[in-house]
Amino acid sequence: MHHFIQLVVSGLFVGSFYALVALGYSMVYGIIKLLNFAHGDIYMLGAFAGFTVLSVGAGALGGGLIALIAIMIAAMAATGTFGVILERVAYRPLRSAPRLSVLITAVGASFALEYGIAVAFGPNPQVYQIGVTGGTLNIAGARITYAQLAMMAIAVLLMIALDTLVRKTRSGRAMRAIAQDPKACLLMGVNVDRVIARTFFIGSALAGAAGVMAGAYYGKIDFLMGFVIGLKAFTAAVIGGIGNLRGAVLGAVVLGLLESFAVAYLGSEWRDVFAFGFLILFLTVRPTGLLGERVTERV
Amino acid sequence: MNDESTPRTMEAPSAYVRAVEERAPANVAPAGSKVGTFTDRRAALAETASGLLASRWLALGLAAVTLALPYLNSSTYVIQIAIDALIFIMLAVGLNIVVGYCGLLDLGYAAFFAIGAYVSGLLSTRYGWPLLATIPVVVAAAVIGGLVIGGPTLRLRSDYLAIVTLGFGEIIRITANNLDFTGGPNGLYGIPDFGAFGLRADVALYWITAVIVIVAVLFSSRLGRGRIGRAWRFVREDEDAAEAMGIHTYKVKFAAYIAGAIFGGIAGVLFAAHQTAISPPSFNFLWSALILMAVVLGGMGSVPGVVVGALVISLLPELLRGAENWRYLVFGLLLIVVMIFRPQGLLPSRTGEPRRRGRQSQGGRP
Amino acid sequence: MTINCRGTMAAAAVVLGLTLTACGDLTQDGSAGSDSGTIKLGMLAPLTGSSAAIGPYMKHGAQLAVDEINAAGGVDGRKLSLTVEDEACDPKTAAAGAAKLVSASIDISVGGYCSSATLPTLSIFGKTNIPMLIPAANSADLVAQKRNNVFLINGTGIQQAEAAAQFIKESGSKSVALIDDNTSYSADITKRTDKNLRADGVRVAEHQAVTAGESDYSGAVNAVLKAKADFVYWTGYYQEGGLLIKQLKAAGYRGRIMVADGSVDAKLIQIAGKHNAQGVFATMTQTPQTIPGGQAWVAKYKKKFGSEPGPYSTQAYDAVRVAAEAVKKAGTTDGQALTAALEKTDGFKIFSGPLKFTPEHTLSAGGFDILVVKDNGFVPNK
Repeated sequence: MHHFIQLVVSGLFVGSFYALVALGYSMVYGIIKLLNFAHGDIYMLGAFAGFTVLSVGAGALGGGLIALIAIMIAAMAATGTFGVILERVAYRPLRSAPRLSVLITAVGASFALEYGIAVAFGPNPQVYQIGVTGGTLNIAGARITYAQLAMMAIAVLLMIALDTLVRKTRSGRAMRAIAQDPKACLLMGVNVDRVIARTFFIGSALAGAAGVMAGAYYGKIDFLMGFVIGLKAFTAAVIGGIGNLRGAVLGAVVLGLLESFAVAYLGSEWRDVFAFGFLILFLTVRPTGLLGERVTERV
Repeated sequence: MNDESTPRTMEAPSAYVRAVEERAPANVAPAGSKVGTFTDRRAALAETASGLLASRWLALGLAAVTLALPYLNSSTYVIQIAIDALIFIMLAVGLNIVVGYCGLLDLGYAAFFAIGAYVSGLLSTRYGWPLLATIPVVVAAAVIGGLVIGGPTLRLRSDYLAIVTLGFGEIIRITANNLDFTGGPNGLYGIPDFGAFGLRADVALYWITAVIVIVAVLFSSRLGRGRIGRAWRFVREDEDAAEAMGIHTYKVKFAAYIAGAIFGGIAGVLFAAHQTAISPPSFNFLWSALILMAVVLGGMGSVPGVVVGALVISLLPELLRGAENWRYLVFGLLLIVVMIFRPQGLLPSRTGEPRRRGRQSQGGRP
Repeated sequence: MTINCRGTMAAAAVVLGLTLTACGDLTQDGSAGSDSGTIKLGMLAPLTGSSAAIGPYMKHGAQLAVDEINAAGGVDGRKLSLTVEDEACDPKTAAAGAAKLVSASIDISVGGYCSSATLPTLSIFGKTNIPMLIPAANSADLVAQKRNNVFLINGTGIQQAEAAAQFIKESGSKSVALIDDNTSYSADITKRTDKNLRADGVRVAEHQAVTAGESDYSGAVNAVLKAKADFVYWTGYYQEGGLLIKQLKAAGYRGRIMVADGSVDAKLIQIAGKHNAQGVFATMTQTPQTIPGGQAWVAKYKKKFGSEPGPYSTQAYDAVRVAAEAVKKAGTTDGQALTAALEKTDGFKIFSGPLKFTPEHTLSAGGFDILVVKDNGFVPNK
């Protein structure tokens, strides 16, 4: 039994990272129907932005959770701004171009980001000098460290903040409106460009936060760290119903749990086969995702 | 984007609506059978002929240069990367059928490439088959792979198709990595080539590859111009309208997917012969992405464009070799720049498609 | 249809014509050894991609040897030159790189990092009889084809697995967990260690493979804890190894941990956290850090390149020295003569001990030692 709970804890923990990245994927897709392939790399960029802040201001910040949160806010501002620039430079000029061209720019941006960081920081992995340490908690025989709890708490807080923003504020309403009908929004006087930029800012900032969290918790960052998590977050967003924010979180948790159990019963090497195999099976049975609405396409 | 909710003005709206309303199993005709009636046949014929002429000269010129290459420069390095480039052209032309002609976003095309390489590699190293004899088995395996993955997913929305094919690509690669039968992470090695015929082994392989790839390129270009090709384009432009006009869209999409699979499989055989050793890292997502990039860069649906795109994508990293990490940075930036200033690709599709007179269809090509 | 059919047939006819008239360098592989002029060495190393971190270590190690030999007057008055091409740990890139080196008419190859990327290069170097002294890649598959131009300078997985199994057995462990990263290098060692341990009657409770490049290894950690293993042997690289050690310790694992040579790097200790890494064992070929007098070598390397040597710096350094020695013995750079000279090498001093090749062209003495982490580095285990 305690092994079962242990697997659930591991699954939820990994799932919370997936969720933060999947949210950005889903937000951007929901609004401009773009699969932002570079999103995983923005997560990586966040980790490196945090690393830079850390190495410049290590003395002043000290250690511990407060310093971590300060670094995280700085990194979120940096990745958020970068997301806006990326959208402005690489995606906006192509908004009326064939959809696949934009996908290609996204892949190009992904390459450029990865190897730009490799050129700037060198290909070696970097080590975060800040560590969230602390004791271990036992819940019904399962171990969970305080660091893990802190990470999950931060992730949940960010998700609640995002949900409130999208559902309760004016700017959130504009986002939802654009997702439904950008043309009508334009006619109704919504500044579509500005709202899209804002969406990129928020999505990228969330990924940046996840990057810093990963750096602080795992301690190691490298320029290719965004690739795998990008694929997984994409998968999570689709499982939840791409474009649906709560769905993205649900999908991420489901994916995290599934992987955790797959590793335990099939072995680590079959985890990704299981995850993607499940995805294919799932889409055959429920193609719109867990919370996706039925949409009649292109009519 | 996806906001063209206004009805298309391709045909009189009333006929379009009637077709949708009256749709019954009876008038879902075989693929593409009615498409020809769309255009004035005479004008179309003239157009097509000039198109053929243009691309025929281009094709012949390219083919001649390709075949004469070993006389111009026969260094090991040039032959090596030329074979790489030819195989890449084959892959790009195959994916062009799926993405360019039919508009299906496939992010796991390397899976068929892997199936081809592994099936021929296994048969030739473990059971001593001559490489040529493995081709029919490879084709069969690619078709089965296409059926298994295409069957359930081709009914889905295009974005889901993207992730499913991506997942499929990863499944094939990881499975090959995990099984002992496929050689695990080291893969298969000691794969024979087709024979040397008294030539230097790599030069012989170069000419065999060149002939197969040239035939494949011409064949795919024929496919695109034929009846099925028109059906594919129609499905790409507007799936609902195509269905309404009596095209069995599911079957047509399936045909594109299977054709792509076969091209990928045969390219895999060539790759196995060329590399002599194959292993899972050769078939990762990066490959699928690069092939897709070649198609889009060159111009979706345009065979000459795709060939040029494939040349650029496969040779550019070699030209930038030595720049180390800079080369992928430049590569990425270049993709963004090209897409912004020439989003329709280097050589967009012009020939072979019946010209629409007067009323152009609304909205960009997907 | 007709137009294209004719086109195809014309193309076929052209091919036939060309083939019939083909002659000269299209029919044979040109490879000419020489006994004067610069001795050209070529190296394939990962300069981009997931293993990009290792490339400079190999490149610098080899360059150091080249500069030293040249400073001492070269080999019989002939200078050495080194050309490095990227292999990116990708078979296709590696094959193209190998072809480029062949076209640049190198005399000896002193590179090869990822086994799966090195395999396709064997036939390319083999066709022109270029001897390969492979400093890093060490999968047994590399010598399984019995090509006579292929020599492994690094200890093989076979030898490392023997050393590992021996130590695990002597440590009195009851239940062992083996973890690899599912790459050929790493999986080869775990598979062989598994076999050796079972032959010795030691229980292998868990055999996990993780995906390189990720950060969360809780799946493997959970499996180790569930199996109640008291010895974990990790055979992948330090990037993941450091995380694995950290996560094992955080999860309350108290048994022994050992890593293979790919993880022997000061970064492992940084990533794992200094307190977590203390007492971690490693199977490793002899290195300057561990052999007496080696510190002088490290100082030389640091002075020249401004950074510490890393994995395979020494093997690359040795590969160049062995290559130079072979040219000296053979008196020429002809491939066959060099191969014969290499086969006859006996007692030439390299970092892993006196060099002598087995009939399979692997090191006769693997020279694997057991190291242990103490403070910020690895020291020999007493």
